[in-house]
Amino acid sequence: MSNPLADMDKPDVIFCIGTNMTECHPVAATGIKRALANGAKLIVADPRHIVLADLADVYLPLRVGTDSALLLGMAHVIAREGLVDQAFMDARTTEGMAFLEHVERFPPEWAEEITGVPAADIEQAALWYGRAERGAIYYTLGVTEHICGVENVQGLCNLVLMTGNIGREGTGINPMRGQNNIQGAGDAGALPNNYPGFQPVTDPENQEKFEKLYGKKVDLENGITKVTALEMCGDQIRAMFIDGENTLVSDPDRAHCEKALRSLDFLVVADLFLTETAELADVVFPVAAWGEVDGTQTNTERRIQRLRAAVPSPGVARPDWWVISALAKRMGFQGFEYEGAEQVFNELCEVSPIYHGVDWDKVEEGAYQWPVPFDGHPGTPMLHSDEFVNGRGIFNLVEQRDPAETVDDDYPVWLTTGRRLASYHTRTQTGRSAGIDYLLSEESLEIHPDDVDEWGLADRSWAIMSSRRGSVRVRVKATKRSPRGTVFTTFSFADVPVNALTGGGYDPITQTAELKVCPVSVVPE
Amino acid sequence: MTRPSDEQLHERWRDQPAPLLPLLHELHERDGYLSEEALRGVAKALRIPIAELFGTVTFYHHFAREPGGLEAPRVCTGPVCRLRGAGDLLDSLDGAVSMPCSGRCDEPVPVLRGSSTLVGLAADALESRPSPLPPAAPAGIEECIFAEMRTEGRAGLEGYRSSGGYDALKTAVLESTGPEVIRTITDSGLAGRGGAGFPTGRKWSAVADAAGDPKTIVCNADEGEPGCFKDRVIMDYDPHAVIEGMALAAFATGATRGFIYLRYEYPETEGILEAAIAEAEAAGLLGDGILGSDVDFKLYVRRGAGAYICGEETSLLNSLEGKHPFPRNRPPYPVTHGFEGLPTVVNNVETLAACAPILRNGPDWYRGLGRGDNAGTKIISLSGDVVRPGNYEIPLGLPLRELIDDWAGGAYEGRNVQAVTMAGISGGFLAGEDLDVDLDEASVRERGSMLGAGGIMVFDDSRDMIDVAHSAMEFFAHESCGKCFPCRIGTQRLTERLAGKAGPKELSDWLDEVRDLGETMKETSACGLGMAAPLISESLVKYFPERVAQHVTSVR
Amino acid sequence: MSDNIDGGGNGALSTMTLDGEDVGFTPGETVYEVSERYRREIPTLCYDERLEPFGGCRLCIVEVEGSHNPVASCTTKAAPGMKVTTKSGRLDMHRRVLLELVASENRDLDVDPMSGYASGEMATLLDRYDARTGRFLGMQSGTSHPDDPNPFILRDYENCISCFRCVRVCAEQEGDYAISVMNRGFGTQITTEFDGILKDSACTFCGQCIQTCPTGALADLKALASKDVPGETKLTRTICPYCGVGCSVDLMTRGDQVVGVLPAMDGPANHGALCVKGQFAFDFIGHKDRLDTPLVRGDDGQLHPATWDDALDKAAAGLLAAVDNHGRHSLYVVASGRAPTEAAYMMQKFVRAGLGTSYIDNCSRA
Repeated sequence: MSNPLADMDKPDVIFCIGTNMTECHPVAATGIKRALANGAKLIVADPRHIVLADLADVYLPLRVGTDSALLLGMAHVIAREGLVDQAFMDARTTEGMAFLEHVERFPPEWAEEITGVPAADIEQAALWYGRAERGAIYYTLGVTEHICGVENVQGLCNLVLMTGNIGREGTGINPMRGQNNIQGAGDAGALPNNYPGFQPVTDPENQEKFEKLYGKKVDLENGITKVTALEMCGDQIRAMFIDGENTLVSDPDRAHCEKALRSLDFLVVADLFLTETAELADVVFPVAAWGEVDGTQTNTERRIQRLRAAVPSPGVARPDWWVISALAKRMGFQGFEYEGAEQVFNELCEVSPIYHGVDWDKVEEGAYQWPVPFDGHPGTPMLHSDEFVNGRGIFNLVEQRDPAETVDDDYPVWLTTGRRLASYHTRTQTGRSAGIDYLLSEESLEIHPDDVDEWGLADRSWAIMSSRRGSVRVRVKATKRSPRGTVFTTFSFADVPVNALTGGGYDPITQTAELKVCPVSVVPE
Repeated sequence: MTRPSDEQLHERWRDQPAPLLPLLHELHERDGYLSEEALRGVAKALRIPIAELFGTVTFYHHFAREPGGLEAPRVCTGPVCRLRGAGDLLDSLDGAVSMPCSGRCDEPVPVLRGSSTLVGLAADALESRPSPLPPAAPAGIEECIFAEMRTEGRAGLEGYRSSGGYDALKTAVLESTGPEVIRTITDSGLAGRGGAGFPTGRKWSAVADAAGDPKTIVCNADEGEPGCFKDRVIMDYDPHAVIEGMALAAFATGATRGFIYLRYEYPETEGILEAAIAEAEAAGLLGDGILGSDVDFKLYVRRGAGAYICGEETSLLNSLEGKHPFPRNRPPYPVTHGFEGLPTVVNNVETLAACAPILRNGPDWYRGLGRGDNAGTKIISLSGDVVRPGNYEIPLGLPLRELIDDWAGGAYEGRNVQAVTMAGISGGFLAGEDLDVDLDEASVRERGSMLGAGGIMVFDDSRDMIDVAHSAMEFFAHESCGKCFPCRIGTQRLTERLAGKAGPKELSDWLDEVRDLGETMKETSACGLGMAAPLISESLVKYFPERVAQHVTSVR
Repeated sequence: MSDNIDGGGNGALSTMTLDGEDVGFTPGETVYEVSERYRREIPTLCYDERLEPFGGCRLCIVEVEGSHNPVASCTTKAAPGMKVTTKSGRLDMHRRVLLELVASENRDLDVDPMSGYASGEMATLLDRYDARTGRFLGMQSGTSHPDDPNPFILRDYENCISCFRCVRVCAEQEGDYAISVMNRGFGTQITTEFDGILKDSACTFCGQCIQTCPTGALADLKALASKDVPGETKLTRTICPYCGVGCSVDLMTRGDQVVGVLPAMDGPANHGALCVKGQFAFDFIGHKDRLDTPLVRGDDGQLHPATWDDALDKAAAGLLAAVDNHGRHSLYVVASGRAPTEAAYMMQKFVRAGLGTSYIDNCSRA
């Protein structure tokens, strides 16, 4: 997030796109509700009529996979109505003129054709955001889990850059991270292209620096993403070590994924439970859970916070860092003598420029948001207030692109996936917490009532949903939260493995899977 | 007429000011109750959270939640009516339910059926009748508000204009200024006649000076105090006087919209007001560009739904806004943060009705109507055990005895006045020597009571004062909004003790509890209801200690 | 109506007198906030610092010079020159009567502390003001909702004192507006739409109502289920393990068992707010399915319990075999977005320091 969570009740115009925040980030959503109570305007773009849409002043029910068209239409209106912040564009951006010319081609009427959103509503949304004193954008995976995820984000950046809604309180472009420590995992360098602190692997200076630190010369080329690695299983990739991920259920195209993992010579998994993925492993390590370990995690607003152990782990389960370092030592790797999480974290702080100003003791109260480049630095609740990391903000001349797969006669329905409030991911945790079943005990496929009738289904009846990759049996739930022709479900329940269906394409840059769009057929059982 | 659909009704009201109450009333009257489906529709249309709307609807006494509820006869069981056979009437009417004092104490017993008020003393004698006119004033008494009211046709525009009606507005709008109007009102000494007694000129001046637009004039016609029925007669017979008063207030303060918040129990009055507003609008006296000037003032009637606390001005504003009608914390006051948080005048019906005569006749004239140092007049609603009950416009400072004995014919043959209530029931009782009091706020307060809205109920020596006190306290408990602890629990505990249902059996313990409760309620309650309620128990103990002792120690 | 129509002066001076002491204040601060800052012990029951002041319980009354009656300090703004008394015989008398009154309407005065964060507030004040006198007895208020089958929130309104903190926290803090106030006066009742069960309402089971309830009328059923677990309750501050917001929580433990979660009112990301997962989905860590020993696949093709030594040996051998036979680029590692940062750091160091590759990813792409 460019801005802190505490800012969320401060905008006068809020644009939420592809974020089911009341269910996926409920506590963050309370800030938005407070802003609304104070009179802020809310624009919500989402294919589904989510709870946020109930609260919206204008709701833009775009067809799945048409975010770029919607954003281009909005940019067109902002440019046409003279709502561009010229001073900001002059001072802090490049390619602005080309972009303004570019968007002339995309009037809201054009966007309506593609998105299905009435042009008048696109106009209204654009006018509000364009005129906002403090306009803030919030988005989640609804924007990124597309083959054009990067372009969608660039489309949002374009809106920000042309209106100057950044670098000030109550503004910004704010992705909401979905997992408790997905930010920390990236910060720590668990990425194929970055050392800790987002230091590029391809920079020889970094190579040299880490050779000194680690005593090993690391490839100057980027590694490969997990998506690519899974593609190469049984071929180049012969062994894997997976920590705390139920890859088989959470990753797209389950059949492909299972085949990949089974084709390995050797698989090691560390987890809390014997997950579907762990069941395929040659060795499974029991790790200590939340509540049992000391450590840190970093939230969506880049706030570094302390985790503390309250109870012992069952049996001989050990913290992840212990397991990994023990295995490293056993494999003869050097530099894995650690006494505790504190020592590990302090080493991360030393090697990472964005954590350089903190250490184990300083993050005690959770007071720091990175970057904290040096000791004594107060942290950075808001990014981009003076300049962008790379100097000037660059406009991107994005265009609308169709999803990897589009509906046809065989697969005439759009499936989009997401989460629900009471379950988390593959339910390894929420499914094992007492009482959660009372709120959500089984998977369902949300279908518009008229489609339920038209497709010969009934509320609570069973349907078979198939894509080009597989089928699942799932119970029907008639609801107007789904628009006509688009259905919704989650990947929470192992007995309805929706990832058997998804996986039609990946963003070419980030290799994020297109989990938000998958043409399917839905027929009565 | 075809039955309007939910959607049509939503459409009709959605963009109107203060839409919730009228929309609910339309649905209530269409269906005979408020169904779950109808309420869900309203919540959606007006974007009110459904739980909040449901809670708010249950707050009001008269919204029926079961089919047929609206048609059930509702019988007034107020302090006077219950002495006039309300209980028998309640028993003899099919499906009848009771309601608190509904403001017809001069003609008991009123029964609400659907949207009409019936009166009569027996089930087979109920009939619809116009409100009783005020009895004639004694010779030599000059009235302000009632002066022309008894004239035939006064409620119509023509009748009103025939004796100078709307001249004050015309003069103000075309020849005068807001500050001049305020000065005249200030000089007249007019003060709030709803009971609080705040100087009207100062209130108008505060709103005129306050920042924020649009400003609003609210006429508080939620006359819920038991034993008070003066506003009803003013609105029924002289609606244009109220309208002109509001228009003058609007001109003086720069307000552009106004509401008459009318209590639910006066259904006929709503029609009278609506007709008068339509006439005034047609004549260019309301609406855009009043009398060809650049003064705009749009006036709306909004009907309550049965909640005494909505007579408290901040509860009233919450009710108008469609919120739960708890009183607001003050400051800020309505003059700066009133309707929708904007500057607002809230004046009582009687206060507003006095404005046009004051502007026509001048401030000195009005001041001179009072006795001694007291400025002006006050309408007293006199009822109970007295020969000629009714509304009397008295010169402030008139002795109570003179009002009861000379004006109203005194107690019934062979009876003596045992006690009276003051300020409806909010002033508690006066009895014994304290009946020799002049009717002005200062004199009455010296005796630990207050004049308030001017309701006085007379109880002669045949009445059991414990029973009267219990009934009064039960009213307060029934009407307590539930927001603050001392009132919510205190009114309940006092009621239980007066009913003999709970409380210590030792007299001294009983008296300690009642005294401590009263002290805490008076000093810590959040609004006037909780502060006033213990005056009932306090004055009961003061004037009738032996009866109290007997009550406490009698076998329960 | 009081004559004080504008609510006090508007001078530039920002000092007032508190029990005879001159104190400074920030314009906009309430008398209660100023008093708190200067460590006056003013009792409250309807106050929650995260919510708009309500002025219902009247316990926070103070005397203000020039004002006939005491005023509620929570709803009264500090004004320059104001002279405030926070403690006097008169105030104590009123506070005691008010506490005797609330005590008189409830079934229980004491509840298990596991009921919720604030559940002991009323009982504490009853003791402090010596208000367990049994005076003012009469009918009790509130009708409990024992028929609500939800496994999280006890709705025992016979212990409700109508402070409406639950209703206000649901609206103001959570923005859900799931509960409201029904009826009036002594008949006041906390309700949902049409007085149904919580699951049929807009309730999201965030548990905020439980944690602000000062009497335990609304209580944490999951925590209460552990009330007989022996040992003292210990609190450990940590961060919620679910989404990326990073809400601070205090884990409640007894012995080696986690028995509940309390929201951290000073949590920098949540200020006391939580959702159903953070509040109630904590007991997976003690679930019987937890792995408590390493597992190694045997010759029979099944996973068998093993010692760390054996498991590490087996894993090291398996991974090294791949590296030896197919090169260092044949081993791939996946770090967790759910584990602590130290795990991710260690994992990237594993491939970089161990193999000199960047063959690593985390689960952010799916």
